[in-house]
Amino acid sequence: MSSENALHHEHEHHEVELSVWPLVIGLASLLIPFAFMAAFQWSSPVIGLLLTGVSVVLLLIGCFGWASEVYSKNQDVGLSKIAILIFIISEILLFGGLFGGYFYNMLPAEVWPPANTPDHVPPLGLALFLSIFLLSSSGTIHVAEMKLEKGDMGGFKGWLCLTIILGLLFIIGQAKEWAGLIGEGFTVSTNAFGTFFFTITGFHGSHVIVGLILQIFVLLLGSRITKKSHTIVKATGYYWHFVDGIWLLVLSLMYILPYYGI
Amino acid sequence: MSNEEPKGLKAWLLTTDHKKIAILYLYTAAVFFIVALLLAVLMRTELLTSDKLIFGPKLYNVFFTIHGAAMVLFWMIPVLLGFFANYLIPLMIGARDVAFPRLNSLSYWFYAASGVIAVLGLLLPGRLDIGWTGYPPYSITTEANTALYIFAVHLLGASSIGGAVNFITTIITMRAPGMTWGRLNLAVWGFFGAFIIQLIGVPVLAAAVTLLLFDRYLGTNFYDAAQGGSPVLYQHLFWFYAHPAVYVVALPVFGIVSEIISTFSRKKVFGYTSMVVAIMIITVLGFETWIHHLYVAGVANWSRVIFMWATILIGVPTGIKIFNWLATLHKGSIRLTTPMLYALGFISLFTIGGVTGIANGLLGFDIHVHDTHWVVAHFHYVLALSMTMLCIGGVYFWFPKMTGRMYNENMGKLAFWITLLGSLVAFMPHFKLGLDGIPRRYWSIPEVYSSMMIISTIFSYIAIAGFILAIYNLIVSAINGEKAGDNPWRAKSLEWSIPSPPPFYNFEKIPVIEEGPYEYGKPGS
Repeated sequence: MSSENALHHEHEHHEVELSVWPLVIGLASLLIPFAFMAAFQWSSPVIGLLLTGVSVVLLLIGCFGWASEVYSKNQDVGLSKIAILIFIISEILLFGGLFGGYFYNMLPAEVWPPANTPDHVPPLGLALFLSIFLLSSSGTIHVAEMKLEKGDMGGFKGWLCLTIILGLLFIIGQAKEWAGLIGEGFTVSTNAFGTFFFTITGFHGSHVIVGLILQIFVLLLGSRITKKSHTIVKATGYYWHFVDGIWLLVLSLMYILPYYGI
Repeated sequence: MSNEEPKGLKAWLLTTDHKKIAILYLYTAAVFFIVALLLAVLMRTELLTSDKLIFGPKLYNVFFTIHGAAMVLFWMIPVLLGFFANYLIPLMIGARDVAFPRLNSLSYWFYAASGVIAVLGLLLPGRLDIGWTGYPPYSITTEANTALYIFAVHLLGASSIGGAVNFITTIITMRAPGMTWGRLNLAVWGFFGAFIIQLIGVPVLAAAVTLLLFDRYLGTNFYDAAQGGSPVLYQHLFWFYAHPAVYVVALPVFGIVSEIISTFSRKKVFGYTSMVVAIMIITVLGFETWIHHLYVAGVANWSRVIFMWATILIGVPTGIKIFNWLATLHKGSIRLTTPMLYALGFISLFTIGGVTGIANGLLGFDIHVHDTHWVVAHFHYVLALSMTMLCIGGVYFWFPKMTGRMYNENMGKLAFWITLLGSLVAFMPHFKLGLDGIPRRYWSIPEVYSSMMIISTIFSYIAIAGFILAIYNLIVSAINGEKAGDNPWRAKSLEWSIPSPPPFYNFEKIPVIEEGPYEYGKPGS
C-alpha cells in the first residue's frame, strides 16, 4: 500500500489538468463508422477511404500528443502494469467468444472441416514454421526486459529490435499464407471453416500488429525509458506474452486439430 | 498549469477531473433518457387503438428499437457507471482522481461518439428497426443501416472496457490509508462487481456484433443457416453479455439503495458482509443464466434445465439484499426524505419485478409467456422503472454534495408519488396480456384489450410526468436552491466529510480511514 499511496501525496499543490488528446481520439473514432457507411452502404468508397485516412491521421496525432503529455509531466507511477493485466482479461474473453462460436459450429458437425475444404487446408507446416518466430520472440522480449533491469540500455534496444523483427516475420508469413489460400479459392465464403479460420487468425494477427506498434512505440520513446521508468515496457511485455499464448490456442484449434480432421 | 480551477467551455470539454466527466455523463445520459421517454409517449399513444392512430407499424419498429437501446445502453448503464461511479468512487475511497484521468475522458468521448451514431440510426434513411437486440437473420437481410447499430455498440464497448480497466485499477490501488476492503461503501462494491461484468461480458458482445458486421457486409456465414452457420449463435453471444448487463445496472443500484437506507435510518447496514458476498455471487452467477433468453430458440434440454436452476438461484442473493434492507430499516430512526422515498419505492417495484422474474425463469412457464407482454411487464418493473426511479433518487441524495444547494423537498416528494402511482399501474395490464399470449413488439393490440391499453397509456403518461417534474426540480434547484451545507444528511460516509461542491482536488490531505462508512448511533454522530 505505502508505495501506491505515494501517488496521492505527490501533487500536494493540486494541479488542474486539461487534455485535448482524448477528444481528438474520440473524434477519430467517430469518423470510422462514417467511413464504413460511405464505403459499404452509400457506395462511395473514395469518400470512405478519405474519411479513414483523416481518422488515422487524427488517431496518430492524438496518441503521440497523449504520450508526449504523459512523459513531459513524468507521470509514470506504475499503475499501467495492473491495468494491462486487467485489460488482457477482457481480450481473453474476446477470443473466448470467437472460439465459443467456433466450437458451436464444429462440435455438432459430422465432418470437420466441411467436405468442400481443399486438401492442403489448413497449411499446418507453414504455421508450425511461423510459430518458431512468434514463440521465440516471447523469449527475446523477456531478455530485453532483463537487460533494462540491469541498466544495459544498448542490450535492451538490441533485444527489443530482434523481437520486432521476429514479430514482423510472423506477420509477413501469415500474409503470404492468406494470399496463397485466397489465390487457391479458399476464402471466408467457402464454408463455415473458412469463415472462422480467417476471422480467428485475422483477429490474432491484428493483435500481433498492435503488440508490434507498442514495441515500436517503446523504441521511439528512446531515452525516456529508464531503469526506473519502465512501466510501458512491462505492459508491452505482458501484452506480447498474451498474444503468444493465444497463438498456441489458434495453432491447436485452427491448424493442428482440423489438419487431423477434428 | 495553475492552481486555479479553470472555467468556461474549455474547462468542460478538455477536463480530466472525474467529477466534471461524471457530470458530462449525467447530462448526456439525461438527454437520451428524455428522448427515450418521448418515444415511449409516442408508442403508448399509438397503442391506444388497435388501428393506426399516428404513425403505424414501420415507425413503431424503429421507435421500440431506439427506445430500448437508449434506455439500457445510453441511459441506465452510463448514468450508473459513467455518472455515479465516476463521481463517487474517488470520493468514497479517499482519492484525488481515478487511476487514468485521460482514459476516463476518452471513455466519455467514446460514449458521446456512440450516442451520435445512435441518433443517426434513428434519423438517417434506413432507420434502425432491428430491435435493441439486433437479431439475425433480420438484421442481416434488412435494408436498415445495421452498421450504425454495430458501430454504436463497438464505441460503447470501447468506452465500457476503458472504464472497467480504469475503475478496477482505481479501486484496487488508490484506496486511502486504512480504507480496507471491509470498509468500502456498498456502492463501491456494487460498482466493482458491475465493472467486472463489463470487463468480461462486453468483449463477447463486441465479438457477436463484429461477426454480424462481417456477415452483413463481407460475405461470411456465421449466422446464415443456409451456409452452415446459425442465427442461434448470435443469441448465445449476445445474451452472454446482455443478461449480465442487467446486473451491471442492478449491482450499483443495490449499492446506492444501501447508502440511502443506512443514512436515513441512521443505522449501520444490516449484514454488511452478506451484502458484499451477495454482490459477488450475483457477479459470478450472472454469467450462468443467459440461456433463459433462448428457452424457445432451439437449445439442448440439459442446458435449459441447468440454466433454469442458475436463474432461480440468483433469487437467493437478491432476496438476501432485500431482507437486509428491511432489517436495516427495522427500529431505525427513519427520515422520509425524497431520496429515501425513491429507495423505498425501488424496493417495492423491484420486488414485484423480481418475483415475476422467478416465474419467468421457470422453463415450463416461460415457454408459455416467452416474447409476450408478460416479459415486457416483468422487465419494466424489475429493471426499467424501479432502477430509473432509484437513479433519480440517487441524484437527489448526492445533489447537495454536487451543487452545494438543496432541492425543493415538497416538489421532490410530489414528483416521487406521481412516478410511483404511474409506474405501479402502467404495466399491470401487460401481465394479463402476456398470460393471454399476446406477443410483444406488435404495433397493434386486439380490440378486446382496448380498456387495458387505455389504462396502461394513461398511467405511463403519469409516470413520465413524474420523471419530468423530478428533473425540472433538479434543474431549478441547481440554479437557485438554498445553500445546503457540507453534510445536510449528517451522513458518515467519506464523501460527506469534504466541502460541497467538492474542490477539484477532492481532499486537502488524503484522509486516514479509521472506521467504516455506516458507523451510526455512536455518541456525537
